[in-house]
Amino acid sequence: MKADVGSQPGALGARASQREATRNRVLNAARELFDTCGYQGTTIREIARHAGVSVGSVFTTFASKGEILSQVMQDRLEPLYAELDRVVPHLRGCTADRLRSMFAIHFAFEAPRARLFLAHIAAAYDWTLPATARPYGHTPRLQEVIRECLAKGVEAGDVDPAADPQEIIDLLMAAYAWTWRLAITRAADARAMTEAMDRQIGLICEGFRPR
Amino acid sequence: MKHVSPLQPAAETKVKVPTRRALAKQQTRAKVLAAARRLFSEQGYEGATIRDIAAAAGMSTGAVFANFTDKSDLFREIMMADMIALGDAMREAAGRGRTVEDALLKMFSAGYAFYKSQLPLARAAFSVSWAPQDGPAIRNAAPVQSLHDLIAEQLEAAVARGELGQESEVKLRSQMLFDAYLSNFPQAIFHGWSLDALQARARDQIRILLAGARRG
Repeated sequence: MKADVGSQPGALGARASQREATRNRVLNAARELFDTCGYQGTTIREIARHAGVSVGSVFTTFASKGEILSQVMQDRLEPLYAELDRVVPHLRGCTADRLRSMFAIHFAFEAPRARLFLAHIAAAYDWTLPATARPYGHTPRLQEVIRECLAKGVEAGDVDPAADPQEIIDLLMAAYAWTWRLAITRAADARAMTEAMDRQIGLICEGFRPR
Repeated sequence: MKHVSPLQPAAETKVKVPTRRALAKQQTRAKVLAAARRLFSEQGYEGATIRDIAAAAGMSTGAVFANFTDKSDLFREIMMADMIALGDAMREAAGRGRTVEDALLKMFSAGYAFYKSQLPLARAAFSVSWAPQDGPAIRNAAPVQSLHDLIAEQLEAAVARGELGQESEVKLRSQMLFDAYLSNFPQAIFHGWSLDALQARARDQIRILLAGARRG
């Protein structure tokens, strides 16, 4: 695309699209690097080199490595949530089974880039992460979907109305995050992780069945 | 070749007295470990460099490398010493529990209390434990495994007492209890939760995770 240098608005537009192009190149390079080298193993310098841009121009768009990673993950969430929104209304069965399907979608989506996801979790503990970054664990949308699922369970009678939904959500999120350790320790794929998660969901659901 | 009678030194002392050189080496290691612990706490795992650690210990980087292969070796050594001390504290705490729920809660509380004064180090440890190479080394290390075993022992004892049913899936349940214990650390690290708040949360988690195994 040739920029129109003759007029002022054209030049501004060209600069904006140039910035956009740089940003996309940085994000694409970062996605690949985090996925191969992990969070600690990836440096801004390497990202710049792979993107074919200067280190300085990376820093004009992003303040830190952690911010680049959270943007990469944020961009990935849109298709995941679109999939979730498409599937969730059609889920049938008991609360445990509906939760199992929801987490299965997550594992299937993230597992092909397991190391990227692990980098995302590791980044949550990074010292230098600025407040603008969204580290792992900030998943309001998923939590909302789980909350709706539990509310349905209360109506259907397989969730104790006295149970605290936030507590159940936290337990499920903890089980989900820690199930990813199987990707590190046993090189587990989506199916193996889903199976492990299914059993854990069953055990958590036993804990809030009406008695 | 110098001939030394094998009987001579053995007759003098049964216990091997460390040589001055070995003592000096021990002191050097201790100094490096203390400096490393401080820097990992102040700057995180990534931020602390071997060069800084050496400077803080008042020695050359060469002297550090003579004792530790690299930064992850140094970090692992600190972690493992802590895990052993933590395991002792948790075992003692579990022994004071009246029921399985109580024993687990006391164990977890001991863990939160242990790290309360060194949360930045815990943060660095979590970060390392999710790294592709160093993660498995820490997760599979014997002192960490023995924390898992300690939880499993509480469940097994409860099954033997009849407090929990025979079909308690001890392995999975103890794994999940350990995960729940760990999952509260971010609340302490990032949101300043007090020991009481951590304990209240852990109590609820333990109840949910044990409910399905209760008899009757």
